Amino acid sequence: MELNPIIEVNDLHFSYKNHKVLSGINFELNRGEVVSLLGINGCGKSTLIKLILKLIHTDADIKIDAKELKSYSHKDLAHKIAYIPQYNNTPFNYQVLDMVLMARVTKLGFFAQPSKKDYEVAMAALEKIGMEHLKNRAFGQLSGGQKQMVLLARSIAQEVNTFIMDEPVAGLDYGNQIRLLELIDSLASEGYTFLKTTHYPDHALLMSSRVVVMHEGVIVADDAPDAVITKEMIEKIYDIKADIITHGEHKRCLPIFETNRQKDLHELTI
Amino acid sequence: MSHINDAKYLIIATIILAVLSMLSLLWGQFDISISTFFDYLNHKLFSSPATQDFTLIESIILDIRLPRVLLAILIGAALATSGAVFQAMFVNPLVSPGILGVLAGASFGAACGMLISEHWFIVQILAFVFGFVAVGFAVFIGSMVTNSRSTVMLVLGGVISASLFTSLLSIIKYVADPYSTLPAIVYWLMGSLSMAELNETLLVAIPITLSILGMVFMSKYFDLMSLGDEEAKALGVNVKLIRIVAIILATLASSLSVVMAGIIGWVGLIIPHIIRMAVGPSHRLLIPLSAVIGAIFLLSADAISRLALSVEIPIGILTSLIGIPIFIIVLRNARAAWN
Repeated sequence: MELNPIIEVNDLHFSYKNHKVLSGINFELNRGEVVSLLGINGCGKSTLIKLILKLIHTDADIKIDAKELKSYSHKDLAHKIAYIPQYNNTPFNYQVLDMVLMARVTKLGFFAQPSKKDYEVAMAALEKIGMEHLKNRAFGQLSGGQKQMVLLARSIAQEVNTFIMDEPVAGLDYGNQIRLLELIDSLASEGYTFLKTTHYPDHALLMSSRVVVMHEGVIVADDAPDAVITKEMIEKIYDIKADIITHGEHKRCLPIFETNRQKDLHELTI
Repeated sequence: MSHINDAKYLIIATIILAVLSMLSLLWGQFDISISTFFDYLNHKLFSSPATQDFTLIESIILDIRLPRVLLAILIGAALATSGAVFQAMFVNPLVSPGILGVLAGASFGAACGMLISEHWFIVQILAFVFGFVAVGFAVFIGSMVTNSRSTVMLVLGGVISASLFTSLLSIIKYVADPYSTLPAIVYWLMGSLSMAELNETLLVAIPITLSILGMVFMSKYFDLMSLGDEEAKALGVNVKLIRIVAIILATLASSLSVVMAGIIGWVGLIIPHIIRMAVGPSHRLLIPLSAVIGAIFLLSADAISRLALSVEIPIGILTSLIGIPIFIIVLRNARAAWN
């Protein structure tokens, strides 16, 4: 059975106040993929995500599940794709369970309130990521990693198969970064599709089925992780020195640390 | 399950409101005993024989106390619900109908209406229109100064909008007839429930009740809206539609409260905060509970003004005196919003 890509972007150009942000973007997200979107700040990756999610208006040729994006309401789109933003700041400190329950609201009729079934779906989503013990905690008091997990649970409760995540590990401590990546990986193995932006080439190497690199509004590479994340590519995009090494069964990307102090020390020892 | 808890809180609050309403009907300068009240009800509803002459009691209850109790309930519910809705729509726990300038705008509109027309309907329409203009102006000023959503800038925009309409109102007072219209406007603006008449109250009860019900039905969207536009859209909310409908309903309810009883401040600001401190911020419970607790608050304030003090002071002054210390306490909890 041939499946359509869930997201299909054809020759997308986008400018913001006469400033060209994206040019000639062709991009596909297929079911079951974990795609990492890599690039420096301002390369246009966040804009691309927002255009796909209809958070910025566009008339461009974008198809979601083989249908024109233009024909989707936000409600319809929320039944196809879940969005996990980078962080969440609201002055109202909701309970974790209420946060997850928000995924159910636009599935209800105008006069309906969340039913027992909606609570069950929300609880099941929390259980799936092992957060059910935190259901009565205030969202604002959670750690960054726990917040991301709760937002993942909310996306699961949205009952969609495609998740778009904006820099999921940003601001998390080292252990939580790895735990979150492992969770994404295990959800991917259950069949969820992920598109995530990241600032870490190493994370992209570890757990992507495909890596897309953007630079100055253009896609400069789109291929398997080892084919894209090369020493040359990293050095060119980030303007640093780097090495790709093999550790166990994984390729890893390591930056090479060069400071003036080290150079001075080096000279001194000579 | 939390929805059972939600219902529990609402039922308890409603029972308290019912008991308070009945006591407010009975207590006053002329106390009516509970047994007399039930005899009267029996007589009226089930045509049981009259145990005494009910003419005076009927007149006190129906003509004087019932309109006042109903009005206190309606206005308390309208202001507190509108306050909670404005706070959610602007993702800003420091706004209220008063702070956004709605009350000042509505009082200017209503005063215009009193000046140009005897017609009650014109007064209501103008109050709503200028209430809406005032909140629009507050948002415009707030967004003109800064591009991003800023808690403080919106509050300042509201302060500017409220001062503008207060000044415009002063012009109206200046040109109003000092022997008839001016005293009427001044006394009405201080906020009073004492002029309530049953027919007028029932007339304004319809649009106020409908707006409150509308806001209660929309409450499940407000949690999502308070996460910010992008997240709400991504979760499937029609952000523009919900926001404009919610702001219109909140403005309508609070503007009509001004027409009926002048400016009654602080209710819309403090009641949602008190409820959030007690039961959490979820709007599914916050909105309906604001309606009931707001009604309880204003009914109690009115009872204090009638019973405890020998001179009746306008309720708007009393709610400020009660509201200010409560808000100072609440502000400690709300300070996160300033960041």
